Amino acid sequence: MTTDTDQAVGPAEPEEYVTVKVWDLPVRGIHWIIFGCVFVLSVTGFYIGNPAWATRGDTGFLMGNVLAIHRATAWIFIVMVIARIAWAFRGNEWSRWHHFIPVHKKRRGLARHTVEYYLFVRHDPPPVIGHNPIAGLTYTVLYLVFIAQIFTGLALMSLEEPGSWQDSVAGWVFNFWSIPGVRFFHHIVMWLVIGFVIHHVYSAVLMDHEEKSGVMSSIFGSHKRVPPGHK
Amino acid sequence: MGATDLAEGTLLDRLDRYGISRRRFLTYCSGLAATLALPPRYAKVIAQALETQQKPALIWLEFQDCAGNTESFLRARNPAVADIVLDLVSVDYHETIMAAAGHQAEASKEATIAAGGHLVVVEGSIPTKDGGVYCTIAGKTARQHLEEAAEGAAAVIAVGSCSSYGGIPAASPNPTGARSAESLVSGVPVINLPGCPANADNITATLAHFLTFGALPATDGEGRPLFAYGKRIHDNCERRAHFDAGQFVEEWGDDAHRKGWCLYRMGCKGPSTFHNCGSQRWNEGTNWPIGIGHGCVGCSEPGFWDTMTPFYDRLPRAAGFGVQTTADRIGVGVAVGTAALFGAHGVGKYVQRRRAAAGEAKATVAAAEADAGQELDSELEEN
Repeated sequence: MTTDTDQAVGPAEPEEYVTVKVWDLPVRGIHWIIFGCVFVLSVTGFYIGNPAWATRGDTGFLMGNVLAIHRATAWIFIVMVIARIAWAFRGNEWSRWHHFIPVHKKRRGLARHTVEYYLFVRHDPPPVIGHNPIAGLTYTVLYLVFIAQIFTGLALMSLEEPGSWQDSVAGWVFNFWSIPGVRFFHHIVMWLVIGFVIHHVYSAVLMDHEEKSGVMSSIFGSHKRVPPGHK
Repeated sequence: MGATDLAEGTLLDRLDRYGISRRRFLTYCSGLAATLALPPRYAKVIAQALETQQKPALIWLEFQDCAGNTESFLRARNPAVADIVLDLVSVDYHETIMAAAGHQAEASKEATIAAGGHLVVVEGSIPTKDGGVYCTIAGKTARQHLEEAAEGAAAVIAVGSCSSYGGIPAASPNPTGARSAESLVSGVPVINLPGCPANADNITATLAHFLTFGALPATDGEGRPLFAYGKRIHDNCERRAHFDAGQFVEEWGDDAHRKGWCLYRMGCKGPSTFHNCGSQRWNEGTNWPIGIGHGCVGCSEPGFWDTMTPFYDRLPRAAGFGVQTTADRIGVGVAVGTAALFGAHGVGKYVQRRRAAAGEAKATVAAAEADAGQELDSELEEN
C-alpha cells in the first residue's frame, strides 16, 4: 500500500500481510441497503409483471400494496444510488470514482493484468487493495444499468400523472420506446441485475480464496488483510 | 350532403324543422361540455356558439383506411342531434356520404379549398413510397390531395389511428411507406384523434370546441386532445378495483372472467393506453371492449400494431429472438448462462491451480503436493 512500485509483487507470507480499512461505513451501508432494495424490487417487480400467485378469493389490496412497496423501495434505491455516486467524490481512496473508471495509466496496466488473470494466463491475482480495474468498470456498467432502471421506472410511474415532475424528468424515455417497450426493458434489466448478482458473489468467493484477503468479510467489517505493496 | 331546405336558416330554425326541442339541444351541449371536461357553465357557451357560428366548410379526406371512422362518426350518440352537428359544419366533400360524384365532387372540393378557412378531416394513412402510387384519387396521390386541401385550411383533424400515426398500413414492414397526416402537413394546426376507430363523441366534441373557441383543444405530446386522451384507460377502468385487489382473469371463460375481474394477465393494454374509452364508451354509450370482457389492445397509441402486440400477452416479444421468446425466457437464459459461465470459470481456476501445484510439487517434496491437493479439494467444496 505504501510502496510506489507498480510491478507485480512477489508472493508474501500471510504473516507479513497488513490490515487496511478499505470500505468505510457509507460504502458498506449503501451496499447492503442497495442489496435489500434489489431483493425487494425484484420480488415485488416479479409479482407486478406476472401476478400469478393468489389470484383467487379474498386477496385484500394485494396488487395495490405490492405496487406501493415497489415504489417506496424504489425511492430508497434512488437515494442510495445518488448517495453512492456522490460518495465517489468524497469518500476514501478505494471508494473514489477513478477506481471505477480506469483513467490512470497505472490502473489500465492493472486492467490488463486482471484480464490475463481471469483468462487463466496468469496465476497471481492483480495486486490491488480495493476493486481491480475490471471489477471497477463492471460496477460502472452496473450503475448505468441502475440509472436506466431508475429512468424507465420513473417514466412508467409518470403514466399515472402526465405533467408530473416524474414526467418532466423521465418522460423523454417514451421518445425512444413505446410504453410496452419500456415495460419490457424495465423487466429484462431486472434479469440482468440478477445475472450480475450471480457473477458478483462468484467473483467475491473466488477472490477470497485466491487472495486470502478476507474480501468476503470486509463488506461486513470494512477491513482487508493484504500483502504489503498492494495498492 | 347537398343543400336541402332542411339545412337552410339558423340552427334553431333547423332544429325546429327536425322536430328537436331546444331542451334536447341544450342537453346535447351539456354532454359536449362534459366530454371536453369543461365546467357546466360552458354548455351555454357552446350552445351559443353553435347557434351563431357561420358554418365552416369541412372536407373529409379518405386515404388508406377502412372507413371505420366514418362509420363511427355516423353512429354519434344521439343521432338526430348529431345530424344537426354534422350540419353545423358544411361537409362539402366526403366520399362515403356525399351525393355528388366524379368531376362534380372534385369541383366542389376545389371551390371550398379556394375559399380557404375550411377544416380538413383526414381518415387513413398517406402512402409515400414509390411516388405514392398506392392510393390515388382522381389521378392525384393521397399526398397531393392532402397538401392541396391543407393549403389555407384553418385546421387539420386526423381521425383514427391511421391518419394520426400511420396505423395498420404503417405497421412493419410498412410496404406503402404509410405516414401520418401530421408528418406531411406544415403551417396548419393538426390535431390527432387516434383510435380504431376514433370515438364519435371525441370527433364532435373537437368540432364543437373549434366552433366555440375558434381553436383546437389543448393537446398532449402525441398531438391528442387532453380532454379525451389525458388519462390512461387503466386509471379510469371500471375493473381497476380488481387490479388493485390482485384479482385477475387467468383464462378466457374462467370463473374470474365471468365475474368481470381484471384482464391484466390476459394482455390488456389499458395500463399503456391513453383514451377516454371507458367513460365515453361506444355506440351511444352502450359498452366498450373491457366492459364486454376483452382486454384493451391500445389502439389509440402510436404504432399500436407493432408495439402493443401480442395483444394477449402483457409484454412484447423480444425482437430477434423468435416470436415465442418472452422477456422471462431471455432472463432465465441470462441468469443460467451467467451461472454456467462462472461455474466453468471456477473449474478452470481450480484446474489451473492444481496444475501449478503439481508443477511446484515436482520441484519440491512429495509431502507438499499432498498438502496443496487437500487444500484445493476443500476449496472446491466451498465453491
